[in-house]
Amino acid sequence: MNHDDVKSNVLTTTLESAINWGRKNSLWPMPFGTACCGIEFMAVLAARTDISRFGAEAIRFSPRQSDLLIVAGRISIKMMPVLIRIYEQMPEPKWVISMGACASTGGVFDTYSVIQGVDQFIPVDVYVPGCPPRPEGVVEGLMKLQDLVDKEKLSDYSPAPTK
Amino acid sequence: MTRVTEQTLETDKMVLNFGPQHPATHGTLRIIMELEGETVTKATPEIGYLHSGFEKLGEDLDFNQYITITDRMNYLSPLCNNVAYALAAEKLIGIEVSKRTEYIRVLMCELSRIADHLLNVGMLAVDLGAMTAFLYGFKLREDIYDLFEIATGTRLTTSYTLVGGLMRDIPEGYDKAVLKVLDEVDEVANDIETLLNKNRIWQDRTKNIGIISKDDAISYGISGPMARATGIEWDIRVNEPYSRYDEFDFDVAIALNGDVFDRYLVRMEEIRQSIKICRQSLSKMPAGDVIVDPGLGYSLPPKDEVYNSIEGLIYHFEVTMPNRGMVPPVGEAYVPTESPNGELGFYIVSDGNRTPYRVRTRPPSLINYSIFSKLIEGHMLSDAPAILGSINIIAGELDR
Amino acid sequence: MPTETILSKIKERLPDAVLDITEFAGEHILHVKGQDILKVLTELKDDGFHFLADLTAIDNLTLGGFERFAVSYHLLSHKTTERATVKAYISEEKPSLPSVESLWKTADWQEREVFDLYGIKFEGHPNLIRIMNPDDYDGYPLRKDYPRLGRKERGDFPVIDRPIQKKKRQE
Repeated sequence: MNHDDVKSNVLTTTLESAINWGRKNSLWPMPFGTACCGIEFMAVLAARTDISRFGAEAIRFSPRQSDLLIVAGRISIKMMPVLIRIYEQMPEPKWVISMGACASTGGVFDTYSVIQGVDQFIPVDVYVPGCPPRPEGVVEGLMKLQDLVDKEKLSDYSPAPTK
Repeated sequence: MTRVTEQTLETDKMVLNFGPQHPATHGTLRIIMELEGETVTKATPEIGYLHSGFEKLGEDLDFNQYITITDRMNYLSPLCNNVAYALAAEKLIGIEVSKRTEYIRVLMCELSRIADHLLNVGMLAVDLGAMTAFLYGFKLREDIYDLFEIATGTRLTTSYTLVGGLMRDIPEGYDKAVLKVLDEVDEVANDIETLLNKNRIWQDRTKNIGIISKDDAISYGISGPMARATGIEWDIRVNEPYSRYDEFDFDVAIALNGDVFDRYLVRMEEIRQSIKICRQSLSKMPAGDVIVDPGLGYSLPPKDEVYNSIEGLIYHFEVTMPNRGMVPPVGEAYVPTESPNGELGFYIVSDGNRTPYRVRTRPPSLINYSIFSKLIEGHMLSDAPAILGSINIIAGELDR
Repeated sequence: MPTETILSKIKERLPDAVLDITEFAGEHILHVKGQDILKVLTELKDDGFHFLADLTAIDNLTLGGFERFAVSYHLLSHKTTERATVKAYISEEKPSLPSVESLWKTADWQEREVFDLYGIKFEGHPNLIRIMNPDDYDGYPLRKDYPRLGRKERGDFPVIDRPIQKKKRQE
């Protein structure tokens, strides 16, 4: 085998970039769609704006088989324990996109029964604004998340300090 | 060694939680089912997972601001909600709108009806395994969303009507765009019916499932395509016409058996009748103004008048400043309209202030859903998605 | 028979149940005492109003009226396409009235919603528990003296503790 064959057939990289490349191009979403943003999320999955270009088409509806939780829609006080339970069931590494105004801050609903932002209780990575956001906006949020995943290092993860 | 016979086996009822997060529930519903084998013996629905306090918000926002909130109730056909609220507010205050406004409102309502029925049939098909109807329907919905975007500015939460008119007029050349989309709707409806109507699997999974009798339908307050599939001849657009529906010529689809298959057929036929109404509305569209006289203090004057004349500026301030503007009479009004789900009506009570005293939505999804526990008894577990899909539950309207 | 005639005949038959008959914007409203609502609605159902379209309640704290709470029923007749509204008044000290679930099954869930949001009890209802708010919720949200922002229930959840922590990167 001569040197040109090796150069055109073998790729060298660091372990971290390889892992990050694999993770960012196959983020499997778990759509937690409650309200109008759920319908726009269905439009993201459909033919015109197609999220499977980014490798994110495997919607499994099971938290144990996905690594991206998309909170789409308003979360009421009756639904919050369900969201916490689903978040805890997802295995690491996991990311959260908060889609729409209601999931990020409560939106138009400043009332007794809407949680004013899920980031009070769950760590959120990307916020997508809009009411509802256009499907192109959700795709941009996903691409920003891919940039975040790309910059991660393995040394970022460590066990939480015991109390 | 004794042989185990049927008498020695003990069976127990299993309790299954069809939870609030599930791909086959349309939104956040929860059903607790008791199963014996595969057959459901008892089902208890639990709702309220999306309760957002819409009616409490209505007491703090004024008549025009609440229209933005009505979009978020039935988010598959938001223009129907806007029109229903505007009609109730106009009946309370006593305003008459122009003929052009009513024709445009009819056009928008019927386009939303097409979009809603396409999505409902698509989701019913996906739950039973037929993915194609969903993808065809969604591609067409994107075209209808483009039409909404040209007229109102956004795809989903449109807030198009005002008390006394519309936010803005439809632009030039809109009718050509609508006619093109209507031709496509015709083709897609034909495609979906070719795929599903005579399909042996579809018929086996939807015929004789979830049969509602006429007396049950009246006792449970069911309206809309679900009621018309049982044989009740009641369509508010024909029997109690609003917004000049009596000037349009269309048929009402009625089926006789009351099962899931009939509800699907009624919805497909309603898509065709909506296409007819849209074409008539475009061909007979009168010229005129869409905003009633802004001097009354209810609807905003057009922007070029606000910026260029002193009367426009004064009227704008009269409508929007907190302690000025509309003084509605003390009273109450309820206007029923025919939304794609059934009878949608807003009941507004006013005490003379600029915000209503009480705004109540009559939710067709909630009232149609209450018959579910009766329908599922005796059927198998896999019939539950079929029945749920045919009721067309929209969680935003169910819980408000 | 038009709605006006039917309502005035009800007033003749049950004079101590009916408080008033009013009319606004073309609709006729019958105001009755809360305890007699079942008798009045049975009569109206026999007279042809066989469909109950809507059941809701209004808190008259600042509006005024006969009593504090009014439960309003919207009726419809398919044969004559006429509608009628009936309002039943109950006081604050004893907010309860008979349930009409025996006449129309649709009243089941709608009365549960009125109970959840206003605290009005319906005698004879088979299953009067909360429907919209969680089961351990305290208070009746749609009353006029309940604040719109609630009483701190919406911040009352535990912050999640992840067994793995991740260092946040600057962008």
